[in-house]
Amino acid sequence: MADDTSELVVETQNLTKIYQNRQIALNDASLTIDPGCVLGLLGPNGAGKTTFLRLILGLHRPTAGWAKVFGQVMSPNAAHLRRRIGYIPTNPQFPKGMTPISYLDYIARLFGLPANARKPRLATLIRAVDLLPHSGEPIIHFTPGMTARLAVAASLINEPDLLIWDEPTHGLDIEARRSMLELIKTLAAEKTLILSSHNLSDVDEVCNHAAVLNKGQLIFHGSLQDLKGRIKKNHYELDLDGDQKSITKAAAALRTHKDFTQVLLRQRRMEVKFGDEIPNSALFAQMFQILHDHKVTLITVRSVGMQTEQAYLDLVEREESRGFARLYRDAEAA
Amino acid sequence: MEAQPAVVTVRFNKFLPYWAVLQTDLRQTLRSWVYRLWVLTTIVAAAGFLIYRVGLHKEAGMFQSAATQSGDLFRFMLVGSLALVVVLAVSAIGAEKGTVADSVLSRGISRHQYFLAKWHARLAVVLCTFSFLSTAVLTASYFLFKADEQSDLSLAGGLAATLAICAVLFVIVSWGVMIGALSNGTVLGITVFWLLLYGLGFLLTLLPEPWPSPERELGRLKFVLRGQYNSRLLTDVLLGAAGLSGVAAAIGLAGFSRRDV
Repeated sequence: MADDTSELVVETQNLTKIYQNRQIALNDASLTIDPGCVLGLLGPNGAGKTTFLRLILGLHRPTAGWAKVFGQVMSPNAAHLRRRIGYIPTNPQFPKGMTPISYLDYIARLFGLPANARKPRLATLIRAVDLLPHSGEPIIHFTPGMTARLAVAASLINEPDLLIWDEPTHGLDIEARRSMLELIKTLAAEKTLILSSHNLSDVDEVCNHAAVLNKGQLIFHGSLQDLKGRIKKNHYELDLDGDQKSITKAAAALRTHKDFTQVLLRQRRMEVKFGDEIPNSALFAQMFQILHDHKVTLITVRSVGMQTEQAYLDLVEREESRGFARLYRDAEAA
Repeated sequence: MEAQPAVVTVRFNKFLPYWAVLQTDLRQTLRSWVYRLWVLTTIVAAAGFLIYRVGLHKEAGMFQSAATQSGDLFRFMLVGSLALVVVLAVSAIGAEKGTVADSVLSRGISRHQYFLAKWHARLAVVLCTFSFLSTAVLTASYFLFKADEQSDLSLAGGLAATLAICAVLFVIVSWGVMIGALSNGTVLGITVFWLLLYGLGFLLTLLPEPWPSPERELGRLKFVLRGQYNSRLLTDVLLGAAGLSGVAAAIGLAGFSRRDV
């Protein structure tokens, strides 16, 4: 565990990576990650997400700048720092001829864990990730879901303080993805996580912070609320219960109100857009009152249009549109 | 009053990552098709050569001394092994880059430990295998030709010849692992090392006597096998091999620590 709880888990300063003077993978990225943070690393393909993670892990050396982990500069030989990190690469590869037991034993030995610590730990993890019936089978015959679960077990075997998972839900079926997200939520209570993902709904569900990379440039770093705050939260969808006539009347009543700019009704699902003048909490109060007056029961309320996705797309689009002004930092960017 | 849970302090073993990589690499090298091909072709070629010589001796009465035959066989074994030993050495680190190296080097192991473990594993496999094969060849030669009055193999000579060839392989494996660690691709590394090795060997054969020509040195193996060798020269060869391998390891350690994987 971290000696000092106020110690930054990750800190990068002007982190830059240029591959063989041919490709700029990461450009001047500076950010900090506090203990307990669950950071979603977002960006299109080739944005530099994996490069950023590999620099933090010491698998790559920065061309310029530095990355500190637990207050110390990460380097290829900083084994003592990596001992506190659990990593899942995008497509985990496994040595040939190994079974989950031999693989986890190998990984535990790579962390320097003595036999009396690693054997019970690997047995617990194999059971936890539901690989007990397959623990003696060669990994080469595993499905993508099974290899993903094994990779999760490998990343947790050293009881790390920092987890770096590069697209952990990639290639998983719905059930496995749900389990993975639940696991992340559980782990988030006691560990710091960095999740790279293309799936913005996953990030929305489990992360409390976000960093957005675009063409190697860090264009946003802050809380998920800050990212969402960049777009207007005024579009909601309601699932209703009650008499269809009452619901139709309630919708008609809402339409007469000028602050509800759009009210669409499809059977028992209603889409409502709020105006910008009045705070949305006041409009919600009015809307709930109208529904109550018409004896309509509210089942669910949700915001429409994946706010994180909209905010992300908005950020990337605005960065693209800045032209040569990209030379200077956007005042609103982190 | 509730009992406090016992705090278990795990003491990390600093050398465990080295042993883990060493053991895994030994196991995987022994299972690899390159290694199996090398051993199989060497055994088949050596057995064929010995049977042919025995046939010539017994049936046609053409006799060549055991030392000369074994010297020739050693030369063929070394030249024939070179290509595959280069592949084994260069692929030690090169083949894992971008694949399983991620899963290994992202854990609690330093680049130095990883390089040393890979280097030592390949050295152990190549040198032990060659020593075993050459001992088998010498033993077979001894027993097949011991009835002859002109059988001239000596135990000390056999040991010296095996040591000398192992010294050469020691250097080749060390430089191969180093090139694999520093090159951007295994195929590129193997090609570069083959060109260097065979090119250098060819150039040395063109040089006059004071220069160590591989052809001439290998031709002298028959004298070594008879026990006619200079102990000081053998010591120099062993020390030279250790020095060259040390240089390769130092370059490899320093270079690999600065490279992306």
